Amino acid sequence: MSLNDAVRGDSARGLSLMRAVQSSSAGDRTAIARLTLAVLVVVSLVALALSIATGASDASAINVIGALFSGAEETALSVRDRIIVFDIRMPRALLGFLIGAALAMSGAVMQGLFRNPLADPGLVGISSGSALGAVLMIVLGASLPAGLMLALGAFALPLAAFIGGLLTTLLLYRIATRGGQTSVATMLLAGIAIAALAGAVTGILIYIADDKQLRDITFWSLGSLSGMTWTKLFAAGPIILLALLVVPFLSRGLNAITLGEAAAFHMGVKVQRLKYIAVVAVAGAVGASVAVSGGIGFVGIVVPHLLRIVIGPDHRYLLPASALFGGVLMLGADMLARTIVAPAELPIGIITALAGAPFFLWVLLRDRTRNGW
Amino acid sequence: MITAKNLTVALSGKTIVHGVSLIAKAGELTAIVGPNGSGKTTTMKALAGELPSTGEITINGHALGALEPWQLAVKRAVLPQAATIAFPFTVREIVRMGLTVGPNRHAERIEAITAEALAAVDLSGFAGRFYQELSGGEQQRVQLARVLSQIWEPVLDGEPCFLMLDEPVSALDIRHQLTIMTLARRYCEGGGGVIAVMHDLNLTAMFADHMVMMKNGRIERAGAPAAVMTDDAMEAVFGCRMRINGVPAPGVPFVLPHTASA
Repeated sequence: MSLNDAVRGDSARGLSLMRAVQSSSAGDRTAIARLTLAVLVVVSLVALALSIATGASDASAINVIGALFSGAEETALSVRDRIIVFDIRMPRALLGFLIGAALAMSGAVMQGLFRNPLADPGLVGISSGSALGAVLMIVLGASLPAGLMLALGAFALPLAAFIGGLLTTLLLYRIATRGGQTSVATMLLAGIAIAALAGAVTGILIYIADDKQLRDITFWSLGSLSGMTWTKLFAAGPIILLALLVVPFLSRGLNAITLGEAAAFHMGVKVQRLKYIAVVAVAGAVGASVAVSGGIGFVGIVVPHLLRIVIGPDHRYLLPASALFGGVLMLGADMLARTIVAPAELPIGIITALAGAPFFLWVLLRDRTRNGW
Repeated sequence: MITAKNLTVALSGKTIVHGVSLIAKAGELTAIVGPNGSGKTTTMKALAGELPSTGEITINGHALGALEPWQLAVKRAVLPQAATIAFPFTVREIVRMGLTVGPNRHAERIEAITAEALAAVDLSGFAGRFYQELSGGEQQRVQLARVLSQIWEPVLDGEPCFLMLDEPVSALDIRHQLTIMTLARRYCEGGGGVIAVMHDLNLTAMFADHMVMMKNGRIERAGAPAAVMTDDAMEAVFGCRMRINGVPAPGVPFVLPHTASA
């Protein structure tokens, strides 16, 4: 045996060993998914900290926290800083993160349920229903009994948007379900029709609205994280958190449903129950989010799509990763919105749409060439 | 054993299956054949529990309607006719679902069973490929590997498990048709049962123990292939005059799977 052969034999052995190692883990993205999750947890914490530390004012979060722990006498300045950090930035950062998480995870759930990477709570009309609820409250709220409006206070708008989203979802579910079976195709088409209808009614309301109401509607519908308070956090936060905690339990079932509802049933999934829980969770999370922040688009499509490229479509990792990445993205967009034109701020919906819409088109075009549409 | 008594299935108000009664025994490959639209797939779907039906279906003595989806999932697994997937799953991730979605009986052996199931359908080395990039026949075999891994042991806790295969070889080349039919045969020899909707009569004759011929939603003939495959049965069921074991006139070549050697 010549040296050449020996070397060749060695490298062949090496190659086959490499193949064996590769094949023992080929197609298994568990490791990268776990790593991604760990990175996202760290990035989320950093984003939250940054979001609390930066803003239009020069209030320093470090000083405020330092003062809090040192127990020093409070000066006028530190009181102002404390209000900025604790009462303005903190609820805004926390709620912003939760809203981003809710929208992104709702997108991932809808896409799995509908077996369509372009499905989104906005697409099936849930966001439109919420918007209709909110606009109804802005325009017609004044004609409600004064006592009721006084009692609702700041909750009036969020509550109306939430009810609008929930009613839309229930209506959609009723239309698409026959004999205990929910048709995904009917649901998507009905969603488009319901969204158009909600949009038309919203249009009528805008037509009869006065100037001040128009301004309120415009700003609300552009989407913004400004004006987040602890009250709003306590109103919307628990609903979003509940949805965020429940949905990961659906991940194996959602995995199975991507192979078809029949296949999921064959594998042991209670398909009807899964669909019901998923739809209510999404309605709750999206309704609560739209209620406090208005229309913030594209997070639900962009985030899961990017993550699927990195960690694959396994919902056990995709759902928590979407929640974290969605939260981070929302805080990032919000920091941009706050600083670009400081001390004024841009509605955050403009930023997510500016970034998201071209991305959505890119996905469409790429899929078209791939699928030969 | 899977039994159906007087099974009737109506879809959107139209009766597709009329009072079908059949028995699929463990250890046997039961093939359902018949022309297009004869109710083969609908019968199989009813047996799998995914369609509402009247009549009586039992699996190993349990009434089908009394079993929850996860209880059914350890007794039978179903290969669908064709499946498209909208998301970029790898082959390994698809096959693994057969083990992780349901009751997850083999948590410690997931990787080993996944590899063995892929080897069984002649797809070793495909684990890292994307499902969407495979050919139709390869996708069909990936799905079969998933289905197989779901009920990996033909007999579980003394109860036989059943593979329900809807046209399992329709997209496959002749060598893989034989591979898959042999695989089904072995599953029966291991004590499990197989119900397969088939179009290839030669493969059915070679591999089936029990042959059910359907036409217009009713069973026309049933029994061992050697007993039921007659010239008359062919004409009655398929509406096509053919001669069983007739040798064609010379000139046009023909090839039968019977002649294949391993």
